[in-house]
Amino acid sequence: MSFLVIMSLLNGLTLAALLFITASGLTLSFSLMRVVNLTHGALYMAGGFIGMSVVKFTGSWLLAILAGGGAMAIIALLEEKFLLRRARGDDLIETLVSLSVAIIIGDLVLVIWGGYPKSIEVPALLSGVLMIPGIGLPYPVFRIFMLVLAIFIILALWFFLMKTNLGITIRAGVDNFEMVAAQGINVRRLFTIVFCLSGFLAGAAGVVGGTAMMLVVGEDWRILTLTLIVIIIGGMGSLGGTIVGALITGLIYSFATAYIPEFSLFILFLPVAVILSVRPHGLFGSEA
Amino acid sequence: MKRKNWVVMITVIFFLIGAMAGSAAALDEIRIGTIGPITGWATIFGQGNLNGIELALDEYNNEFNGVPIKIVSEDTKADVEVMRTKLDSLKNRDKVHLIIGPSLGHEGMAAVDWGARNPEVPMLIGYSAPEDITMRKATNSVVRPGWTGAQVIFNFGQYCAKDLGYKKIIIVGQDYSYPWDQAAGFIRGFLENGGEEVKRVWHPVEAVDFSSIMAKLLGMSKEYDAVLNNSGGAQVVAFFKQWKQFGLDKVYPQILGQANVPIVSMLSELGDSSLGVYSSLHYYDGNPSAANQKFRESFKKKYGHYPDVIALQGYDAVHVAFKAMKAIDGKVDDPHKFIAALRQVRMSADESPRGAFYFDKYANPVQNIYIKKVVKKDGRLMNEAVKTYTEVSQFGPYADMAEKYMAAPATTRDYPPGDKASYFKEIEKYFGKDYVENLKKNNGWTD
Amino acid sequence: MQSTSKTKATLLLASLALMIAVPWIASDYFVMMCIRVMYFGMLTLSLCFLAGELGVVSLMQASFFGISGYFIAILQTQYQIPFPIPPLVGIGVAVLFAALTGLLVIRVQGIYFLMLTLVLGQLVWALASQWASVTRGDSGITDIFAPVIFGISTEKSKGAFYLFELVIFSGVLYFLWALKRSPFGLMLRGIRDSESRMVMLGYPVAFLRYVAFIFAAFVASVGGVFFAYFTGLINPHSVSLTANVETLLSGILGGIQTLFGAILGTAILKILDLVLSGITHRYLLIMGILFLIVVMFAPKGAAGALQRLWDSVASRSSRGIMSVAKRASDDS
Repeated sequence: MSFLVIMSLLNGLTLAALLFITASGLTLSFSLMRVVNLTHGALYMAGGFIGMSVVKFTGSWLLAILAGGGAMAIIALLEEKFLLRRARGDDLIETLVSLSVAIIIGDLVLVIWGGYPKSIEVPALLSGVLMIPGIGLPYPVFRIFMLVLAIFIILALWFFLMKTNLGITIRAGVDNFEMVAAQGINVRRLFTIVFCLSGFLAGAAGVVGGTAMMLVVGEDWRILTLTLIVIIIGGMGSLGGTIVGALITGLIYSFATAYIPEFSLFILFLPVAVILSVRPHGLFGSEA
Repeated sequence: MKRKNWVVMITVIFFLIGAMAGSAAALDEIRIGTIGPITGWATIFGQGNLNGIELALDEYNNEFNGVPIKIVSEDTKADVEVMRTKLDSLKNRDKVHLIIGPSLGHEGMAAVDWGARNPEVPMLIGYSAPEDITMRKATNSVVRPGWTGAQVIFNFGQYCAKDLGYKKIIIVGQDYSYPWDQAAGFIRGFLENGGEEVKRVWHPVEAVDFSSIMAKLLGMSKEYDAVLNNSGGAQVVAFFKQWKQFGLDKVYPQILGQANVPIVSMLSELGDSSLGVYSSLHYYDGNPSAANQKFRESFKKKYGHYPDVIALQGYDAVHVAFKAMKAIDGKVDDPHKFIAALRQVRMSADESPRGAFYFDKYANPVQNIYIKKVVKKDGRLMNEAVKTYTEVSQFGPYADMAEKYMAAPATTRDYPPGDKASYFKEIEKYFGKDYVENLKKNNGWTD
Repeated sequence: MQSTSKTKATLLLASLALMIAVPWIASDYFVMMCIRVMYFGMLTLSLCFLAGELGVVSLMQASFFGISGYFIAILQTQYQIPFPIPPLVGIGVAVLFAALTGLLVIRVQGIYFLMLTLVLGQLVWALASQWASVTRGDSGITDIFAPVIFGISTEKSKGAFYLFELVIFSGVLYFLWALKRSPFGLMLRGIRDSESRMVMLGYPVAFLRYVAFIFAAFVASVGGVFFAYFTGLINPHSVSLTANVETLLSGILGGIQTLFGAILGTAILKILDLVLSGITHRYLLIMGILFLIVVMFAPKGAAGALQRLWDSVASRSSRGIMSVAKRASDDS
């Protein structure tokens, strides 16, 4: 029994790591731009497929992550520059624009890569199992890597937002837009940078997810829903909230799949309803 | 206000045009409608079927006795409501003489429902496998030159118990009716031929992460002999991946697969991790028969990749249709004659890549079931047959007790029970004590 | 003024007569299209009612649509309960569910509302997909037969089904139209335009939102009844995210705040679907692009109204970010 508990804990943690990596981009773009970028799931999927092709042609997993993330950063840039900017600060329209881009990208992925499920080979360095010290259980190296990667991203983002000038400006922009704009800072450019970063994170997450699980048409909407759950639970715009949201989601999903797999999906949506009935803006969200 | 007027006027005109527009159907051509999920997540099921259909039609030069054949290809987008609409439009707008399709399980169930309400349109069901299409819901106009989920797996259960010597098996599968059917058929074959227990683990159809299931399987490895992966499509890829990631290949022998696991289109993605996987189906790609070689090579030539069983369904359906048309001299505008002829078709091993088959009285094929294993030949992964069971109907070993089989409770995710004692108690109820006694006496099926 | 209302009335009567005449003057295929546009239309109407009157986009209306469908399926196929009980129960349960989820949903606005309804809609979908013992999971329930009304089988006669649906559809349409024109509608639009003002004036804002949400759910559930009866089946796809997004698309295409827009948008979407499928497989791509174009460049009417809608919400909520952003982008 306890074996399953420990495994579910590890599974939940590593799944949370993947969810965090995926959700971090969405949180970023929301905190500054107040736009829920519904293209996020499609970016994940497209980034993953691009990464898969890169691995096929070059054999380098590292290159795949950079390519997948980079390509999505470019798409995000284009989306922001040509589409979202025109929506002129209209929340709903921006969201709907992102939705339509998601639909377009989704079909393009189908055209380019076809409908068959694909996956990315785990790089040799990260394959195999590792004995967890202290518990004595073998656990896949790649999943541990996901955890490490998530922590790295958390630290990197923290450093970026807290310690760098750019990051501080961004946070200031979140807290008080007028003041930052009044200081002559090109807030639009900030938007773009953040948006590109969120796109990069989405694409990179796609490569990671495609390696741990699989890539197939339809994954975009599944991932989007999971990401939204994470963000809604944790509270949008809060990085700490995203971490908590990812943890809650990942752990619940893993334990549910282990013990009551037939209802795992339902169990996943339940905490959202519960938390939102108590705190409508998520655990760490601020009243908008 | 002005814009609104325009909109209203355009709408009214459009409405009138639509109302008056009938259909322009020529009378000297044979119209075949195909239906399946061409776009969306299930595209491989629809497109594959269509590819097979078009390949077969090429062999006949798209005509029958000089009469041209017109194909109307409709897309269900894996949405049953859309399918219903398209079936209606194929019948009313395009006035087709025959419908080939659909491919998905729930599509098939809805299609046979439609067929019962529209008995003048012959339908050749494609890949859809729910048994009720040709059992409890069978209707005259629907013929299935395909298979049922249970039909292809009864003997697999038998094989695993008798030939592979397994006693306890775990089945991990997607939670909907087709895998339920596969599990049920397997259980019957397994438990009635020496197996002791089958444990079923269900997960959501679109499960993303199998890590917890892998953990569970690891924990159960001391008690159970093997694992059967009862899913299709993307979930199989993820399953195999995480199987390896979690080191399950070290504690269990090769994965057993349901019908959709080691199909040709999956093998390339699964790679070497699929070596040694056993499964069962009414078709195997490694079949050296002339019909199969012709099918495979001409498909490869036309589409650039080898066909799988999904394409085979479309291919066979067209050949069945042509045989029936020959029998009625091309008079497809008499649907009842056409339907009767379809139900009478017999295909020989030279005519179908799967081997010989004919239809039972419910219009499902009686055909060979192959136990196959994935091997590597000439650097390519393929399925080879290790055992063949001939003339298996959708009732499998219960062919002479068909009524009793159909009267048994319907398959659900937990029925029939997976442990020997409860299972035998159940089958005594509807198969009878004599049947159980015979099983014990003969140590399983006498095949 | 008088002449416009007279012409309006004649136009209305003429179109009504035309609609009633359809089964006799039009082809079977066309009748079927009308039937589909009507039941999906009710779903779209429910979304557009909320968007138009309250300024919120709900991505869970298909849940109510599907709940009534499922109850009809279960009660008729498993328990053989005769008409008209199953649809009444179905609509009742859907309304009850709206009453429950409404408590959660009215507490949020704007984007949060959209996301919360998305997740709640997914919750219903997960239930429909996984509670297989009741809903038969992803396979869905088939064999639903349309009722016999006044001795005529709407199952056998498409024309009869159409007329039956037309009567109910007209009733629902009238209901919504009357709501819009009533003081209730006025209050809703007041909330949409400036909630704080309404609160100050002493209106029970939360309660009004709650009731509107329930009314919208009611409309969607009626659509679901006809969906189940016409297609003869129900499965989780009817309550899926795809279904909800398609509903939103229909609304956007036609004009998200007018009732007419809802129906028009539904018709456009469904007809495009059938027309495109014969020509290309890239249906989704085309719909996505169309969606994008309409959302971004829609005639002033739709876009302007939407903008007005959300500006009012935004100016109250996002600490003025959006209005400032607008000014900022205007400057750059």
